[in-house]
Amino acid sequence: MTGATESPKYGTGLTGWAAHVGEVLSGLPAAYRRELGSNRRRAIVLTILAILAVTYPILNRFFLQGFSRNVFPLPLPDDTVVTFMMIFGIMAIGLNIVAGFAGLLDLGYVAFYALGAYTAAFLASPHFGSVSFVVLANVANGFPGIHLPFWIIVPLAVLVAGTFGALLGAPTLRLRGDYLAIVTLGFGEIVPVVFRNMADVTFNIGLGPISIVADHLNLTGGPLGINPIDAPFLPFLNIRFNASAGFAPVYLGMLLLVVGILVARNLERSRIGRAWMAIREDELAAEMMGVNTLRTKLLAFALGASFAGVAGSLQSSYLGATTSDFFQFSTSILVLIMVILGGIGNIWGVLLGAIALTYVDKTFLPYLGQQIQAIAPSFPNPAQFNFLFFGLTLVVMMRFRPEGFLPNRQRAAELTVHGLIAAEIARGEEVGVDNLGMAPPGQDEVAGDARAAETVDESEKE
Amino acid sequence: MDQVIQTVIIGLSNGLIFALVALGYTLVYGIIELINFAHGDLFMLGSMVALFLIATVFHLSAATPPILLIGEILLIIALTMVITAAINITIERIAYRPLRHAPKLAPLISAIGMSFVLQNVALLIAGPANKSIDNFLPTTNLLSAVGITSVSVTLQQVFVGMVTLPLLVALTWFVGKTRQGRAMRATAQDPDTAGLMGVDVNRTIALTFLIGGALAGAAGVVQILYNNVTVWNLGFRFGLNAFTSAVLGGIGNLSGAVVGALVLGQINAFSDRYLSANWTNAIVFGVLILVLVFKPTGILGQQLADRA
Repeated sequence: MTGATESPKYGTGLTGWAAHVGEVLSGLPAAYRRELGSNRRRAIVLTILAILAVTYPILNRFFLQGFSRNVFPLPLPDDTVVTFMMIFGIMAIGLNIVAGFAGLLDLGYVAFYALGAYTAAFLASPHFGSVSFVVLANVANGFPGIHLPFWIIVPLAVLVAGTFGALLGAPTLRLRGDYLAIVTLGFGEIVPVVFRNMADVTFNIGLGPISIVADHLNLTGGPLGINPIDAPFLPFLNIRFNASAGFAPVYLGMLLLVVGILVARNLERSRIGRAWMAIREDELAAEMMGVNTLRTKLLAFALGASFAGVAGSLQSSYLGATTSDFFQFSTSILVLIMVILGGIGNIWGVLLGAIALTYVDKTFLPYLGQQIQAIAPSFPNPAQFNFLFFGLTLVVMMRFRPEGFLPNRQRAAELTVHGLIAAEIARGEEVGVDNLGMAPPGQDEVAGDARAAETVDESEKE
Repeated sequence: MDQVIQTVIIGLSNGLIFALVALGYTLVYGIIELINFAHGDLFMLGSMVALFLIATVFHLSAATPPILLIGEILLIIALTMVITAAINITIERIAYRPLRHAPKLAPLISAIGMSFVLQNVALLIAGPANKSIDNFLPTTNLLSAVGITSVSVTLQQVFVGMVTLPLLVALTWFVGKTRQGRAMRATAQDPDTAGLMGVDVNRTIALTFLIGGALAGAAGVVQILYNNVTVWNLGFRFGLNAFTSAVLGGIGNLSGAVVGALVLGQINAFSDRYLSANWTNAIVFGVLILVLVFKPTGILGQQLADRA
């Protein structure tokens, strides 16, 4: 870890990271301007999309529901579904940092979602009824339980999820890609099991003068989970962002999502973002160029996890309840499909994937189910077989369009051409002509291989 | 002490079923370095097929005469193995073969998709509830014949061994001694060189999937005869147990998979008995993570060609 090659401005270790993340955060306004100002067409499209997004909940309430019933053939998503679009959007952008930017397959992403949800559940609910700790919350002083405002819980959830991401990543990120995937999957399964089983904890830890004793402590609420959880509350306007608040939580989700987009966008364009890309393409080469690969991957892991922490704290505060059943392997995979379907590596793509899949999962399939049940009651309800479609989606996407529908250009090249060449070279094969039919000319990274291919090409022609 | 011995016996039976499934993981990983995520679900499909054959086609019950019973069970095993082998080859053809030269994580993601497809196909056909049959094998304690009553070994448990061990011997012989087995080992070592030496690589990989699928089918039958129950999402947990076994023993290593499965069977049984069944899953995953982090080559060592 030499400061000279690694990061001239900041020290290494946690403070260095903190400084770097701080810089990214302080650059948000600039990122916002850049996002709009980079080119005119993009600015117009983004502005139109933003106006649509901002006005949609209101239009939906007063106008569109009738429209969708009478004119438009498909149902429009309601406030709950749109809120979940925001929650899954945050998750997809976070997983995209891990899987898209840094190229690490995380199959246990749901663990961090759970950690975020339970952070909110612990810190804003009457669950720990034996204490009373109310700070700035919309709860009377002396009310049992710990009650912190949502605005403090979100950064704490970021911290908790990020810390666990780093803790999981530190020993495991040396592993090969598929082993890492399985390790994260294991972690994703362990975390909900722990939350489910810690309803009756008895221990007695003695540390010199301090002794921590728990006698049948209900730590996590067991299979029932924790409820009620305080809704996010905006003091002066007196808005509670819970499920009965209509479209208010949509805007809360939108706010967090926009911050998430800007952070991710800024990270992508920062020194770290370029390091991630370098690692994704060729870890060995990146290391040779002075990238501290382990630290950079760890940062991707922790930052990606913290996005899920935010999503989790929003989800449980919004629903007012959480149980370990919410956090299953299938949720990790659902987010992964959003990322792959939309376009791995491209923030706007994965956002589209999150919105589209949440719509299909929570609005379209139930609607289709209702329609089918009305005609043929014995026919299976497609809403119960959502993962049949999602599983097929994964298989089909991998086969025909691994780069997704709104691909990141660089990532697409890696997945089709670079990937092919890398695979061939790793296998010690000569680079075949047929495989290189799609090689874009003039790209530095493939130039050497392309020359090799041309040689083969010519020799075969002769 | 009797309780410990009893737990060991239960663990042994668990382990032998794990072994059949773990071999499927290790064979496939050894040859194309793919974690065949759908393999556990193939085992589940095998158990569904076996349940259907036993309950609906052959109507096996405690009243069936023993000779007929044995013959029909053998027939059911054979049929189930053929069916799951066919399914596995089809999956390889559709979902993995086209991705053979894609980046390494692409087939893994495809396999995860396939796993969900298989689960939901079973859910669609068999419904969400547990499917079970009445036990029709005698449950008397075989050890009472020699005067031991404190520890019991049932016919079902003996049966697990009677199905599993011959298959393990047959597989070892096949991979170690036959021409096809040599082709498999050659392909695992280096598919391109094997191809140049006249091995039909595609066919050999398909053969590997066929064998893995057949073993998963046999494990499915054993699951029904031993535990009498199956459910659409059985394969996920079971598959991860089996995969952990394969990793524990050293992935790519056939005897490693069996050793790993036996160890993991004991871990499962002891955790179920002395800790809590609620924690068993977490413990298995903990073992998996620890092995991958600290000794990724497993107990007996990996037998993989060193391909980055």
